[in-house]
Amino acid sequence: MRYASAEVRKQFFIEMFTRDISLEDCVLDLIDNSIDSHLLKSKTSISQLIFGPDANEAKRDLGRIDVTCNHRQIRVVDKCGGIPRKRATDEIFCFGHDEGDQAGKLGAYGVGMKRALFKIGNKFDIVSRTATEGFEVSLTLDEWAKEEQWRVPIKYVDGAGSEKQAGTSITISELREEVALRIKGGGVPNRILDDAATTYPYFLNECVTLRINETDVNPKAISLGESEGVVRAAKEELTYDGVRVTLVATVAPGQRTTEQAGWYILCNGRAVIRANKDELTGWGDELGSFQPKHRSFVGIASFESGEPLSLPWTTTKRNINRESAVFLHTRNLMVTMSKPIVTFLNSQYPGDPTPEVDSIRTAVGGVQEVKFRDIASKPTAAFSYTPPKKEVRKNDWVRFQAPITSLDKVRRRLRRPSLSPSEIGRYTLDHFVKTECGTD
Amino acid sequence: MSTTSSSLRVQYDLRPAKQVERRMIVDALQRLQPAGFSITDYQYTGFGAVYFVDFILFHKLLGMSKLLSLEQMTGLTTRIEFNKPFKCVDTRMVSASSAIPSLSRDVRHILWLDYDGIIHKDFLSDIQSAGTVLSPGSILLVTVDVEPPEEQDYKKIDPDFDGSKEVLGPKHWKRYFEYHASSYLRLGLAESDFGKAELHSRTAEILKAAFTRSIVPRTPVEFLPMFNFIYRDSHWMLSMGGMIAGPTEKRKLLSTTLRETQYYRDNFDTPPFEIAIPRLTRKERIYLDREMPCADGWTPKDFDIDADEMRKYRDIYRFLPAFAEILV
Repeated sequence: MRYASAEVRKQFFIEMFTRDISLEDCVLDLIDNSIDSHLLKSKTSISQLIFGPDANEAKRDLGRIDVTCNHRQIRVVDKCGGIPRKRATDEIFCFGHDEGDQAGKLGAYGVGMKRALFKIGNKFDIVSRTATEGFEVSLTLDEWAKEEQWRVPIKYVDGAGSEKQAGTSITISELREEVALRIKGGGVPNRILDDAATTYPYFLNECVTLRINETDVNPKAISLGESEGVVRAAKEELTYDGVRVTLVATVAPGQRTTEQAGWYILCNGRAVIRANKDELTGWGDELGSFQPKHRSFVGIASFESGEPLSLPWTTTKRNINRESAVFLHTRNLMVTMSKPIVTFLNSQYPGDPTPEVDSIRTAVGGVQEVKFRDIASKPTAAFSYTPPKKEVRKNDWVRFQAPITSLDKVRRRLRRPSLSPSEIGRYTLDHFVKTECGTD
Repeated sequence: MSTTSSSLRVQYDLRPAKQVERRMIVDALQRLQPAGFSITDYQYTGFGAVYFVDFILFHKLLGMSKLLSLEQMTGLTTRIEFNKPFKCVDTRMVSASSAIPSLSRDVRHILWLDYDGIIHKDFLSDIQSAGTVLSPGSILLVTVDVEPPEEQDYKKIDPDFDGSKEVLGPKHWKRYFEYHASSYLRLGLAESDFGKAELHSRTAEILKAAFTRSIVPRTPVEFLPMFNFIYRDSHWMLSMGGMIAGPTEKRKLLSTTLRETQYYRDNFDTPPFEIAIPRLTRKERIYLDREMPCADGWTPKDFDIDADEMRKYRDIYRFLPAFAEILV
């Protein structure tokens, strides 16, 4: 038997593997690892973060992540617990997780950090300390690429001394020319900040704080709405192949823009898809094209699993693997639960105006902010709109012109010359009701 | 789709082929009961309009009492309420697409999407929703018109079409089908595949694909075909349906006597059961019924009727209504 060579080449990982992901997403991959460390250290589950009480109520200690981004270096420093030496030597520099590795909740594939390092610069320095032990790795990529062996030199250092001080620092320098150019062009730190704010609404200030170039990142929550007795959000849940799926779709509160509308897809709490309005979630297909009148539409599809590889995300965590069985099943449900909402929003603008239109528009405008966890805790339900009951009017206007001569006749008959026309109207109606209609 | 409810255009209770279809469905449901499908406890959801014919049959013959009728035309509200035949019939003035997501997952359903229009993307979307939410053991039926799209249908996808200058034909019908169901059609179809005589086949292929697509992600749950009727009272209509079944329901379904019937179709690739109503007088029917079920090739001695007509009659005589005038 003859064999053709099928060996792995370092150049593939350094040059090719890095092309399918943006600079911003590479930085988010590094942040994912920091969050994972903190989740592991604090034994916090994704379910607790999404569906449990908030950080204050749960009295959670928050980890801290600081990102520095300039044209000389990108640096991510966290106080999230650090990486044990064993994981450093056996796992974190390998491509892909080993079967026995205790994978994180967000670091699914075991490629994020390496790809980020390769994408961003030629030199990286990692220092990580748990409370009791630590290590350092410094590597220059072009030199490493020349070596045949797949290994990185590691130096053991002391631990941080306390859980609070334990953490990891990753510094990438000698930035690739194109990366430095993009950063010099401006806007990259802002985009990382915006992306982080929308990607981690269930992590920021719930389990970690994040700063980009010394600016706090505040989470941008996904707004959901309901109104008591009038608008009820749709909620579905299922478990498929070990993945717990929770779906909510409804009308969002307040003035909405088209950019905010659509489906948000979370994988282990991380927003992978934001405000999607295309065929991925049924828009432009079963739901028809998205139009401005649908801008109040919002849906969250949350996929959770202790085995992140079971989740339907791609390796960049910015898209969905459409061939994922759990996603295929969920997508049908997402479309099904969206339809009544689309019909409801369409009915704000009927071909022929109907008396119900005002009530519908008032209902859309009147929904109040509701938390995902609050809707998720309710039983499964389809979206519903209950029109407000029409008030039974108890009074109505009686308004007519009467000859002044007739009004004067009444004034004279009653010997009350100052009676106003409305008093005369009321008096005469009361008189008729009393004398002709009885008390029924 | 027509903007007028078909209940205002068609005398629903006087369509013999439709009534045969309903009676065959009732027969099939009765055959499911001994296999452990408790049809009495199922919920029936359909489009009862103002006649509620199927609701009356299902309640009286099958003992079903969870009955829900859907109607989109709010102008019919008072008539629908007035004509509701039983207290246990619930009515909702909403479209199927709004109602399907709220069907209980804890109950088995018979959902009959008995559309009166030609194929439309909204129908396919409803099928997808139904295939997604209906619990295993539920039955989904879909009826559509398989006549060619008319000018009013076609103009909705091509507003520039001018009927005074051009006659609608396969070119337009192909375009109509592609507009509403392109992803459900197989590749490589030519205009000649959309000739009038081909439209029921195209529609059947689309419905089959829609059933499949809706259920595939629910593996091991599958859609098991049961019904594939074609019939004509005025328009040619196609009804296809089957059971949403997991392994248990599949086993039970296979143990029923449905295979002994003429109308049962467990494969959509076989030709549909055509409900053909022979034109017979009352006297002829009484005569023929005494000989039913007849052997293959049997014909009556006392009047001429060919063996093929006789076979068709034998297939449907148990289900064929007899209409009579009642002066009220």
